[in-house]
Amino acid sequence: MTDKEVGPLKLLCHDVESVGFGDSTTFEGGRLTVSADEAKACLSSRALASTNVSWISPGESARVIKVLDAVQPRTKGPEGAGIFPGFLGKAMPQGRGETHVLRGAAVISAGYLPRLQEGLIQMSGPAAELSPFGSTHNLVVEFEPAEGAAWEDVDLALRRGILKLAARLAEAALESEPDEEREVAPTTTPAPGDRPRIGTITNLQTQGTFKDVFVYGRSMSDSLPTLMDPSELEDGAVVSGQYGHPGLKNNTYLYQNHPVVAALRARDGQDLDFAGLILSPEPVEQAHKELISEHAARLCASLGLDAVILTKEGGGNADSDNSLKADACEAMGIKAVSIHGEMAGPDGSGPPLVSPPTKGSALVSAGNYDEIIKLDAVERALGGEILDLTDDPSTAELSLQTAAVYGSLNPLGWGRLTCWEEAAS
Amino acid sequence: MKIVHYINQFFAGIGGEDSANAGPELKEEPLGPGRKLASLLGDQHQIIATVSCGDDYAASKDGAAEEILELVKGTDAEILIAGPAFTSGRNGIACGRVAAAAFEAGLKTLAAMHPDNPGVAEAGSAPVVPTGETAREMGDALEAIADAVAKLAAGEEIPNAIKGKGPRRNRMAEDNAATRAVALALKRLGGDSSATEIPLPDFGTVEPAPPVSDPADALIALLTEGGLVPNGNPGRLESSRATRWLRYPLEERESMPAGEFQSIHGGFSTVKANEDPNRILPLDVAREMEKEGRIGQLHSEYLVTVGNGMPIDSASGYGVEWAEELRKAGVQAAILTST
Repeated sequence: MTDKEVGPLKLLCHDVESVGFGDSTTFEGGRLTVSADEAKACLSSRALASTNVSWISPGESARVIKVLDAVQPRTKGPEGAGIFPGFLGKAMPQGRGETHVLRGAAVISAGYLPRLQEGLIQMSGPAAELSPFGSTHNLVVEFEPAEGAAWEDVDLALRRGILKLAARLAEAALESEPDEEREVAPTTTPAPGDRPRIGTITNLQTQGTFKDVFVYGRSMSDSLPTLMDPSELEDGAVVSGQYGHPGLKNNTYLYQNHPVVAALRARDGQDLDFAGLILSPEPVEQAHKELISEHAARLCASLGLDAVILTKEGGGNADSDNSLKADACEAMGIKAVSIHGEMAGPDGSGPPLVSPPTKGSALVSAGNYDEIIKLDAVERALGGEILDLTDDPSTAELSLQTAAVYGSLNPLGWGRLTCWEEAAS
Repeated sequence: MKIVHYINQFFAGIGGEDSANAGPELKEEPLGPGRKLASLLGDQHQIIATVSCGDDYAASKDGAAEEILELVKGTDAEILIAGPAFTSGRNGIACGRVAAAAFEAGLKTLAAMHPDNPGVAEAGSAPVVPTGETAREMGDALEAIADAVAKLAAGEEIPNAIKGKGPRRNRMAEDNAATRAVALALKRLGGDSSATEIPLPDFGTVEPAPPVSDPADALIALLTEGGLVPNGNPGRLESSRATRWLRYPLEERESMPAGEFQSIHGGFSTVKANEDPNRILPLDVAREMEKEGRIGQLHSEYLVTVGNGMPIDSASGYGVEWAEELRKAGVQAAILTST
């Protein structure tokens, strides 16, 4: 089928107002009812001994610890019909035709995996607004690995499982009247005009198993930067398998709802032209970082960009992926803006970046990693008994770094958290 | 105005390195360089007390700056002077922290040290008066401090002071970061070439030390930020954002065997490191070189932390502590492996 026959991507958005469990999985009048048995069937794998699903909703005295990934329920039809290409659907570009979206809900995996840097979601109090998932109804998946199963297989089973479950939930809304229909025109590089042409480079973390991000089901680690139709992200072309730095993590849900893409689309055709999304790996070797960065800057130049917005994933190492690209772009006359969480120490007095740019000095702050926040004790916690980060019981009152809140300093630009200097008196 | 002067154990005449663990102590008189400072200050200002503390205690013990400040608060001082510390790392860190704590508590305060001292970064919002490198320049330093005190007392800005930065605090912005990034791009395109939400940090520069003249004669230490610890991590070193560093013995050990040591670093896959921990701490090769006489001798222990996600302030503080440690042990060169 050609694009013309299928048409541009149309998002059919259904708002989830309430949730619960029942005998079958249904979506009626804004209520999402899930059959726990059916959910567990989606998660069934030889690598998993058992799974458990629970709902956790905004305003509850509750939290999720050991958060791994979060996925927004979406489907293109029965059995997914091509959603999450490379995992559920065939590894082929998507981003055309209809996609059903359950807004206000997420499927979240939680539990131990190697290399997990522990993060949590608090569903009430001030910390709730620091996470994208403090205000969504979350179907939390807990799991026990099968005896003798390799951790890599457990990881893969879990990832496939939550994607399948997310598609299955959205399938319940296939016959429902959407609350909103939103057409997303393919991003075509516009002809040069009066408006500035702005694009974005999204750096995907590629630091090996458990710190990897997948494009059409494959790690991007050996790839060069590539131009991507943002509509493909809406259909799940990018899936996270990255469990480091909870505050600085880009989960699958946010790739499905890329904040910079949304911000550029919001002004596209008004005071700017959105001229393209580039995906890039974050290599671990300096020389490779430099090559990738120079190459990405050439891509920006060939798109005729006037400015580019850079996003990263991870801690100080990934600072350099933004900074090298920002400097390479500026050297070609392309203005570069980078989004960074700061690492200024608990008292906010330290240098904010580990690896700052020299020329590309326009930086947006997504907040200070280290500032200590206090979380009230909660009645219920999912994801484990003990928060390993502080050795506290999972429901305890907590005092920890802002970055322990899942998604709090999201480098894709989701959050309103920022940081500025108090005037020295 | 009434002044309390903070200095280390050495300048207070308590003792040298052997007294580096001495706790905070208050004496109601000027001591050491404080005597000369008192005369420079003239009749308008008096040093009513001196608080001293050992370098190790002041720079390494949690809450040491607060303890020192408590002693200061027990007097009716209006001004706290910390230093001069010159290029001494531990003393500089202590002076910076004490001045920062005094500033937060609402006292008029200043610290004094060389601009490259890592303690400058610890001074928070308190002004830092620049000095020379060593105590040989004490006279000039005290004159600069006396001039600065006059400005401080008059509520005027201290010229040449390294200006204290306000702490950066988390807030909620009106728009999300993505929306602000687009706005910032348009601002830059509109010609505002300095618009940013984060000023670029200045890390300063570190002059590399001259090469070791004869490695065959040198005591050499192995250090790592690779999180290599005995199996089970008895010292509970954190895999990320480490708040400590640890030491483990190397005596009578020819290599780092798999199964006895593990890396708990959170920033990379530790599989290869744990297969052969010498990949993180190259003791096997170092011992060979020691036997061949290519290096003199290996230091009897290794120092370890985890660099993953470490704030630069912590890293430079640990650097000072490690350097002091190695200097005391007579180490001439160190190999610091990173991951």
